[in-house]
Amino acid sequence: MGKNYLSAKSKYVYNKYMSKVVVVKYINSASPESLTKVQYGQLLSAGIRSVAGAKDINAAVRGLIPDGVVGMKVNCLARKANSTPVKLVEAMTQILTDAGRDDNDIVVWERTSREMKMAGFPLNAASSGCRFMGTDANAVGYSDDIYTSGEVNSRVSSILTDVVDSNINLALLKDHSIAGLSAGLKNMYGAIHNPNKYHDNNCDPFCADVSMLEPLRSKNRLTIIDAVRVQYDGGPGFVSQYIHNYGGLIISADPVAADRIGLEILERIRKRHEMRPLREVGRQVTYLDTAAKRGLGVADMSAIALEVINVNAGGRLSAGELI
Amino acid sequence: MKRRTFIRCVGCTAAAASILEPRLVPEYLRGFENACAFDFTKGLSSVEAKYYKKLEGGGIECGICPRHCRVTDLERGYCGTRENRADTYYTLIYGLPCALNIDPIEKKPLYHYYPGTKALSLATAGCNVNCKFCQNWEISQSRPEQTDNLDISPKAMIDIAEKRKVPHIAYTYSEPVIFYEYMSDIARLGHEKGVKSVMITGGYIEKEPLAELMPHLDAIKVDLKSIREDYYRDIVGGELKPVLDALIQIREAGMWLELVYLVVPTLNDTEAEFTELAGWIKTYLGPDVPLHFSRFYPQYLLKNLPPTPTKTLEKAHEICKAEGLNYVYLGNLPGHRAESTYCPGCGQVLIERRGYRIYRYELDGNRCKNCNREIPGLF
Repeated sequence: MGKNYLSAKSKYVYNKYMSKVVVVKYINSASPESLTKVQYGQLLSAGIRSVAGAKDINAAVRGLIPDGVVGMKVNCLARKANSTPVKLVEAMTQILTDAGRDDNDIVVWERTSREMKMAGFPLNAASSGCRFMGTDANAVGYSDDIYTSGEVNSRVSSILTDVVDSNINLALLKDHSIAGLSAGLKNMYGAIHNPNKYHDNNCDPFCADVSMLEPLRSKNRLTIIDAVRVQYDGGPGFVSQYIHNYGGLIISADPVAADRIGLEILERIRKRHEMRPLREVGRQVTYLDTAAKRGLGVADMSAIALEVINVNAGGRLSAGELI
Repeated sequence: MKRRTFIRCVGCTAAAASILEPRLVPEYLRGFENACAFDFTKGLSSVEAKYYKKLEGGGIECGICPRHCRVTDLERGYCGTRENRADTYYTLIYGLPCALNIDPIEKKPLYHYYPGTKALSLATAGCNVNCKFCQNWEISQSRPEQTDNLDISPKAMIDIAEKRKVPHIAYTYSEPVIFYEYMSDIARLGHEKGVKSVMITGGYIEKEPLAELMPHLDAIKVDLKSIREDYYRDIVGGELKPVLDALIQIREAGMWLELVYLVVPTLNDTEAEFTELAGWIKTYLGPDVPLHFSRFYPQYLLKNLPPTPTKTLEKAHEICKAEGLNYVYLGNLPGHRAESTYCPGCGQVLIERRGYRIYRYELDGNRCKNCNREIPGLF
């Protein structure tokens, strides 16, 4: 290990690091195709340890993710072209099982099984092994109850309400034609039955209110935003000419702070490609401030403890720059 | 159910479902010979939607309803049933109704349209508004992946109506505007075969699609949910003005039209509103358009409110009659005298109703048997 980045003196005190965000980058801007499962594992391990303030990844997992069934909400909207990479999910699963979690207690999930299949995930709604399933899988569906928060009234995926005890939000960093930013909070639209109702006004306050729904707020423990390949314009679908290989992950226990750093990266990438800021093209991201006002997390950059870690080919860590 | 058991059940059910091919039709739909359960592994329908335009720089703009959703690749409009795929807009629910019943025409309600007949009534998932009082929210506020759908082509739908000897098809329960293409094709085919069509709608539709559709319909019932714009914004999630425009357009086209106004306690139940409502109807639609005041029951997001007091409904009835509307009814009040039709000329009971049943019929063609006054409608 290079510098002493992960030698925190205190132990993974969850609340203490609510506004800590770690960006872990693979040196030489990798693309999802070029990154291996092992390299994804190195990024995850470094980032999660830093977020938890733990030297040991198993201790970090224990500190961040409570015992019980763990969900991983992926984003498969753009099918295989730009969805949460299977290798990232495999690496995260490996970290969880290495930390002592039974693979029977891991559920990788999305809105529909069809979308997951098209993104390359092996479907498994059987009775053993790590599950890969959509909310539309037989006998799953959405909660009978309508959950309400602010302007949002929705049924929530039964995977989140009934199956898992905690959830890891495995989102992607993308431009969004309406919301401006699609990252962690926007990914959770995939947990409700009526996301189409909540796109007015650049998704504000809806993006905040969705993540404030009780099952989401209480069970989302970790946000991991895949920014290895960033769709910096034309999103949320895949548009090949607006792809930037950033090569990093954004990791935080604070969903708002994670998105705030994601927005910063997105805007800087757009600037590098000589594109106008989102606010100048009618897609100002205001829902993060709303989320902060709701108490979901921190949106103020000055109140976010940002750490950027570079990982080289040998797995060594060093201090990095955001972009 | 414990989580482990739940997960095990998921596995078992998934395995069982894969064995049972084709998927079974639910018990309550077995009577519809041509119906077969929709197989989700085939994906939803991919019939190109009508009334949209491609935008410069990518994306489309839907033009079916005044919402004019701008939708980028792989996203859906507000209704959740139309999807942009590489800038071609598709309806995902063509041929995939999630509700199918044979109802009395009085249930729509249509009181001046072939009383005592039945309508094959269908709906798909989805809606272009989000009324907080919706009684069918479990289908109207869902996406088509979340409902149990049937797989019925327009031709098969007409076959069902003919075999069951049902003279009308009603597009109802959710919002037919969002399954416009499916409705339009059934209605068109139905007219060729002598099966009539009625649309039960919120009237939140653009002028051009409505104009194209009306020649294939025989009657329209519109839920005019309020006469206030703020009610439409806050309670309905839509706009009043386009609905009023659609009502005028329907009336000017000579289409048979009836109106329903759901009276929600504390939200749209003032005497001033009833007076304004009656005045607008009389001025722009005429005094002969039937108006049904319907009783609210706590539903969906308004479970905190009580059912509408009978006195409120009677007051609404009294005001609208006094303002000069000839046919004012009260609904969801079985046994109330205002369920029946009276001759505005002589006061004779023309059609005595209790609930959806007719107990007395005193019309000769479309004339009062007592005073020979012509009664508007299709009888």
